[in-house]
Amino acid sequence: MTRTRHGDAGAGLLFLTPWLLGMLLLTIGPMLASLYLSFTDYNLFDAPEWIGLENYRRMFDDPRYLQSVRVTGGYVALAVPLKMLAALGVALLLNQPRRGQGLYRSAFYAPSLIGASVSLSLVWKSIFSDGAIVDRGLGAIGLHTGGWVGRPQWSLPMLVLLAAWQFGGPMVIFLAGLKQIPAELYEAAAVDGAGPWRRFRAVTLPMLSPVIFFNLLLEIIGAFQVFTSAFVIATGVGGGGGPAGSTLVYTVYLYDKGFSDFRMGYASAMAWMLVLGVGLITALLFRTSRVWVHYAGEKP
Amino acid sequence: MRRFGTALAAAILLAAGLTACGGDDDAGGTVTLRFSWWGNADRAALMQQSIDLFQAANPTIKVTPSFQEFEAYWQKMATETAGGNAPDVLQMDFAYLREYADRNVLLDLKKTDVNVGDLIPAFQGVGEVDGALYGVPTGGNTWCMFYNPALLKDAGVEEPKDGITWDQYHALLDTVSKKGKTYGGSNYRSVIYSFESWLLQQGGRLYTEDGTLGFTRDQLIAYWTVGKQYIDDGRFIPAEKVAQIEPASPIVKDLIATEFRWDNFFARYAGETDAELKIGPVPVITPGATGQYLKPAMLLSASARTDHPEESAKLISFLINDPQVGRIFGSNRGIPATNAQRKAAVLEGPAAAIAAYEEAIAPLLQQAPPAPPKGAGTVEAAFLRIADEISYGRSAVPDAVDAFFAEAEDALAG
Repeated sequence: MTRTRHGDAGAGLLFLTPWLLGMLLLTIGPMLASLYLSFTDYNLFDAPEWIGLENYRRMFDDPRYLQSVRVTGGYVALAVPLKMLAALGVALLLNQPRRGQGLYRSAFYAPSLIGASVSLSLVWKSIFSDGAIVDRGLGAIGLHTGGWVGRPQWSLPMLVLLAAWQFGGPMVIFLAGLKQIPAELYEAAAVDGAGPWRRFRAVTLPMLSPVIFFNLLLEIIGAFQVFTSAFVIATGVGGGGGPAGSTLVYTVYLYDKGFSDFRMGYASAMAWMLVLGVGLITALLFRTSRVWVHYAGEKP
Repeated sequence: MRRFGTALAAAILLAAGLTACGGDDDAGGTVTLRFSWWGNADRAALMQQSIDLFQAANPTIKVTPSFQEFEAYWQKMATETAGGNAPDVLQMDFAYLREYADRNVLLDLKKTDVNVGDLIPAFQGVGEVDGALYGVPTGGNTWCMFYNPALLKDAGVEEPKDGITWDQYHALLDTVSKKGKTYGGSNYRSVIYSFESWLLQQGGRLYTEDGTLGFTRDQLIAYWTVGKQYIDDGRFIPAEKVAQIEPASPIVKDLIATEFRWDNFFARYAGETDAELKIGPVPVITPGATGQYLKPAMLLSASARTDHPEESAKLISFLINDPQVGRIFGSNRGIPATNAQRKAAVLEGPAAAIAAYEEAIAPLLQQAPPAPPKGAGTVEAAFLRIADEISYGRSAVPDAVDAFFAEAEDALAG
């Protein structure tokens, strides 16, 4: 008996080997290496030199670092709620029993299939330039913003819109969540005289809260790591983050530091600060979730 | 986003040397050289023809080429070099020469039989750092003004002539912006090479002998203040218009009438616009003092760790001296660096215009400054970026100058 079980474990490990190797060599190994490097001055050429917490201390004196934190914070604060609202709104519409819903669902999901691709970013750049669709469309209703690409006050909202437009992922999850809500809850509420808004507030939202929490978590973590759109659209003169530093998101600055300036120690420290920051926010979210997330079957 | 994480992880892995592997040699006395350069498919085709010629002439040497575009090239070069896996022969940029030489990753070509005797006088000794020869130029370029004669004519302005002063040039910008259909120019004061030529015209320099900044805060404040003034009064095209068309230049989109660039851009621009651009002089403060020099457009270096220094030197010598190679490349690597290749190259169209310009200005050129110090690439980018913040009205000039000095001094010290 024991022997067989032992053999099973061995076989299991054997089957896991490709994943384990990948995990050790491509994830854990480099992560430990970068943790070590974050305490060093390392320029890729010379051996890393131990400088303790100096990299971490230096971040707080680095105006571009602080700028990148501000820009990323603004991006997360705008993009996540907007994307969640769009996803939830469309999911509610798609949950109605209508003909052709399958088609609509595919159509709304399509932008997310393209993902954070380079070509999409290029398209975005061209439709937000001077005299392009957005500029002309807004001009027709009397809003003369000019192109958004080159204007510091508009470039970040442009990236936010790109993120919000790709709401397909959370939308599908919302849709699945909505389908799980038992119809009798709505019927009971209707019998008690609850209108549509009341039914949404009192039934849909609480029943959906675990899904909202899950989506919120994923979206926040994803938004902190935004890279492709900012890198492709706004890398211009003097590195990434243009115009005038308005799109200098965290990972773009990290990339600049590491691969253009060869400050790999500093870039590693930045990466770990991001891990810490996102970890902290996630922990806080979990804390607050006790108050507002309702799991079915739990006593209130 | 996930890609980024993977790329970073892979790079760190490379950097940690976990995947570093040694060189490779074929059996049977054949030597294999790895050769990397930056460029596009056009250059790759020319390079392959040249390599074929070299291999035909040297049957015991096999060349394995690889290329990327400029940015990716340097990222790859940094990780390969860090992993002890640099190619035997590599294309080098003047701005990175000292950076790599100081880190002892380049071979002193004086220790080989490299043939540099035929380099034109302006290029003798150009790739030297502290007496050792770390790179050999393949071609050169010079700072210059591009202008669009049709747009100048629209504004009723004469084409700029040799000896035009800065005051006259700024008056020209004003007239074009007011009477013509376009802006006069782009904010050349945000480009460090414009600033350098302005310093050189006054007998100053960008970097001191010991690799620190060679100018004062007040000089830069004065320089950027005027730039901001010309943005505000409409002589220069606004920054937001430039940002939208990047990486194209506003001059190929007929948005400005004049622009300052390295002259090898002329060939590229000719392919991007229908306008008949011309090359003109860089304005001066006092006649004769142009502050211009012939800069190596690119150099060839060998790795200090190569197992085949003589074969590497042979490849480099072949690529800079062989007349057939000169004919193959034309002006693709800049106007050729050796007399033999200059004679052999058949230059037509834009390349002929560049050659004519360089010939005309040759007597007024000064010796190229020594290779820029370590960190110069970062300084160049910071100059452009911080000046851009002034253009956008995001920074006051004195604050921007402080920010630039802080970043530049940090980069040069590291």
